[in-house]
Amino acid sequence: MIPEIGHFALLISLVFAISLAIFPLIGAQKNIAELVGLAKPLVYANFVLLSVSLFCLAWAFYHNDFSVTYVAMNSNSALPWYYRISAVWGAHEGSLLLWVWILALWTAAVALLSRSLDDADVARVLAVMGFIAIGFLAFVIFTSNPFERTFPMFPVDGRDLNPLLQDIGLIIHPPMLYMGYVGFSVAFAFAVAALLGGKLDATWARWSRPWTLAAWGFLTIGITLGSWWAYYELGWGGWWFWDPVENASFMPWIAGTALIHSLAVTEKRGAFKSWTVLLAITAFSLSLLGTFLVRSGILVSVHAFASDPTRGLFILVYLLIVIGGALTLYASRASQVVSTHRYKLFSREVLLFINNVLLAAALLVVLLGTLLPLVHKEIGLGSISIGAPFFDKVSSYWFIPFSIMLAIAPFVRWKQDKFSRIRNKLLPGVFFAAVLTLMMYLTLGVDSFMNLLGISLAGWIIALTLYELFLTRSKGKLPLSHWGMTFAHLGFAALVLGIAVTQFASVERSVRMVPGETVELNNYHFTLAQVKQVEGPNYSSYMGEFSVTNGDEKHLLFAEKRYYKVQSSVMTEAGIDAGLWRDLYVSLGEQLEGQAWAVRVYVKPFVRWIWLGGVLMMIGSILCIADKRYRKVLSMRCAHEAEPHNQRGEATGQTASSN
Amino acid sequence: MHRVFNIIFIFTLVAFPALAVEEDYPFEDPQQAKVFSQLVNELRCPKCQNQNIADSNAMVAIDLKNKTYQLVKEGQSKEQVVDFMVQRYGQFVHYDPPLNWLTIWLWLIPLSLIAALVLFVIKRGQREQKDETQVSVDKLAQAKALLQQIEEEGEKK
Amino acid sequence: MMKNFKVLVPIITFLFISIFLYKGLYSDPTDIENANLQRPFPEFKLNDLMNPDKSYNKADLLGEVTLINVWGTWCVTCRVELPFMTRLSEQGIRIIGVYYDNAAEAVFSGVDLIQTQQDVKQMLSQLGNPFRFNIYDVNRDLSLDLGVTGAPESFLLDANGVIVAHRRGAIDERVWEKEFAPLIRQLKQGG
Repeated sequence: MIPEIGHFALLISLVFAISLAIFPLIGAQKNIAELVGLAKPLVYANFVLLSVSLFCLAWAFYHNDFSVTYVAMNSNSALPWYYRISAVWGAHEGSLLLWVWILALWTAAVALLSRSLDDADVARVLAVMGFIAIGFLAFVIFTSNPFERTFPMFPVDGRDLNPLLQDIGLIIHPPMLYMGYVGFSVAFAFAVAALLGGKLDATWARWSRPWTLAAWGFLTIGITLGSWWAYYELGWGGWWFWDPVENASFMPWIAGTALIHSLAVTEKRGAFKSWTVLLAITAFSLSLLGTFLVRSGILVSVHAFASDPTRGLFILVYLLIVIGGALTLYASRASQVVSTHRYKLFSREVLLFINNVLLAAALLVVLLGTLLPLVHKEIGLGSISIGAPFFDKVSSYWFIPFSIMLAIAPFVRWKQDKFSRIRNKLLPGVFFAAVLTLMMYLTLGVDSFMNLLGISLAGWIIALTLYELFLTRSKGKLPLSHWGMTFAHLGFAALVLGIAVTQFASVERSVRMVPGETVELNNYHFTLAQVKQVEGPNYSSYMGEFSVTNGDEKHLLFAEKRYYKVQSSVMTEAGIDAGLWRDLYVSLGEQLEGQAWAVRVYVKPFVRWIWLGGVLMMIGSILCIADKRYRKVLSMRCAHEAEPHNQRGEATGQTASSN
Repeated sequence: MHRVFNIIFIFTLVAFPALAVEEDYPFEDPQQAKVFSQLVNELRCPKCQNQNIADSNAMVAIDLKNKTYQLVKEGQSKEQVVDFMVQRYGQFVHYDPPLNWLTIWLWLIPLSLIAALVLFVIKRGQREQKDETQVSVDKLAQAKALLQQIEEEGEKK
Repeated sequence: MMKNFKVLVPIITFLFISIFLYKGLYSDPTDIENANLQRPFPEFKLNDLMNPDKSYNKADLLGEVTLINVWGTWCVTCRVELPFMTRLSEQGIRIIGVYYDNAAEAVFSGVDLIQTQQDVKQMLSQLGNPFRFNIYDVNRDLSLDLGVTGAPESFLLDANGVIVAHRRGAIDERVWEKEFAPLIRQLKQGG
């Protein structure tokens, strides 16, 4: 009975979404207040319905209702309860349900927090989001219904959740990622609504900014979690594989990063209007493209999902309608937009413009690198692979100009500035970069120029970001958004430093070990104490106990090889001692003859900094959203008067542009 | 801070493979060991979903790894081993795509974007210079003051 | 005019990409063409699986259209394929086996040749024996030269020993009629 309620709620929700996409829009275009007034109630009702639906599916999982096909395929009575709940989004059907629920959540949040906006404008935004919901609801209902029953015969027990997903990282990774993906729909909806309403001024940028920051923050942490999960769960010590599915989440992130920066210019200076709209459309379009790539199975990826051409075709048609529609609308309206704002060559505007061009270039590289193998094969040139060697090469060049600009931009004033004014302020950056590089060169003996350069660029960013903070701080209290920027930029530097150091200083050995034997790596002695058999709730496992010593330092690591009975698959759980300066990492391979085991040991310096970078960036986005001015804007009656004129700029520049 | 230097000190020491355990792929020449580790990370397992042969335990990946080891031990260069594998398994086996009229766009498209950027900056710089020489200094100051006034009013609104 | 064109770039790019996304839906990305197609069969010198004193080289494969089947007793799909292969050989197709050990087993614990020979005998007497003889690819070097990624795989050779067709996975009636039979007819007419 419960699954039928969930299914029914889904069906009603589709009807509501269709109404939401049609009536408020007509109301807004034709000035009919009754129709405009329908928007918010429909949004809230939709959110309640989808929550019911999601709850019903979770209920079916929790109570092991194997008469539901999706539950039978992805759960098992021996599965611990928390994995039974997270199994809701463990496969195709349920993760799509989560997708639409999150869309409903964002839509409801927009409806709730946009009370001070003009009703017709909000109605347009909500209608666009309703339109987006239609496609995904229809997709769930007609091709991927999670509530389908196995009647009349149903299995005694389920086929279990994919063991790869039975992990804490994978409980939170997909919801965070989807919050990010779907969150870009808000900026998209604002942009499309602005195009529809013909109001492409700075207002829409101001309203989109906190939403974009929130989505970007979620996506950042989602990707970080995914990378961290791959690191400890796949047992290879890698943290990024340039897999198509990873690229699919990385592309909206790049677009989102560009969007955050260009929104700042559009909001504060009224420049880049048409470009910012395009970016807002692009960020969400790439989220949708990512969904398509993951769901259609048209690319070879480690993340194997059900590949079914009809499902793929459904999403493709939907992409053509949503993205194609938005871009057509853009083509017809954007040429009328004129940016009247003027600025000089050396100004914050131009530096942010360079930031955007570099990010756009990075985006194109990832997009091309992901899709070109497909094109290559389809036009008859044969199969090729584009992976780490290519992407690593390109990104190592790309980091150079991007990092240099990133550290300089906050010093430069809006509109016009002189290089001679800021030249002396850059000296700490040069100094610290030189010191850090020299220190690393002398102590680590780096033989790679590129890695050394990466380290010095990280030093350059860290020093200048902190110096800029210090200079601005000494002039008075800083708005939270300035702290946000500082955190995000430091996060980027931490990421660069982590990558550069890990790449050259990581060492590994792949050996054959018998209990009692010791292997040495960078002065750490890894001793395999014993391998014992351990029984888990739904798996049995060999657990290798390693003691690691280095002088006074002593750690105990447990590396496991788990055998999941129901799906008869083997998973590795790496044994890791995490530290800010280095990770010790052990993974257990195959059992060899006798008592011997294949073992891989790693020492990975600074690898934590990569995820630390992600966390810092996310904190940055939270600080930006928490800034007073957004709360002020929210409580203000009319959006057009929302900008308080005494408000400080994001950085030093704005008030001082009068020299 | 003590710990940092401790660690940094440790990095400088090279791992000595002198203990009892047996290395999976032992090399005497560290240069060869480096080439081998690069190769197994750049060669793709042709049967797997998307893994290099270092990370894969598929049968064909084991064979390719052993072959790579054999060839590197024989003193073949990285390029030679890659050619050997591509000859047998096609371009798919190498994660670095070959350069042809299609894949060149991987480089050309982003580069042309950057080139357009440089062009834009140069053009703008020239225009500004022209503006400045045409307009007398006095007039410029006047216009600036006016513009600023307008702007400030705009911001107050 | 220039500006009008610029705003069209995104939509045109998107539509262009969509064409390939559409085509991609109906093609299998894991279906990778074997690099040895249209090339001569590689040179080799290997022993007979059942009779290690007898050795073969490339010359033993020449002279007529031949199907080379890479297989192993450990491989489930090969088992499925055997009856159809036997029917083919009864129709007069020369089929030669290349015996492929389970590589993981071979590397980690070693293979017992006597045991393998017994397994092969038993399996072939049960499901039919399509093979004129079996070449024992002891270190899987020949398979590696052929770009084999697993078992079963099959290669069709013309009389001069050039690989004219390749199949990854089992051959059944449908695959045979579609990909191999027309080629054989053509080869026989031509030669």
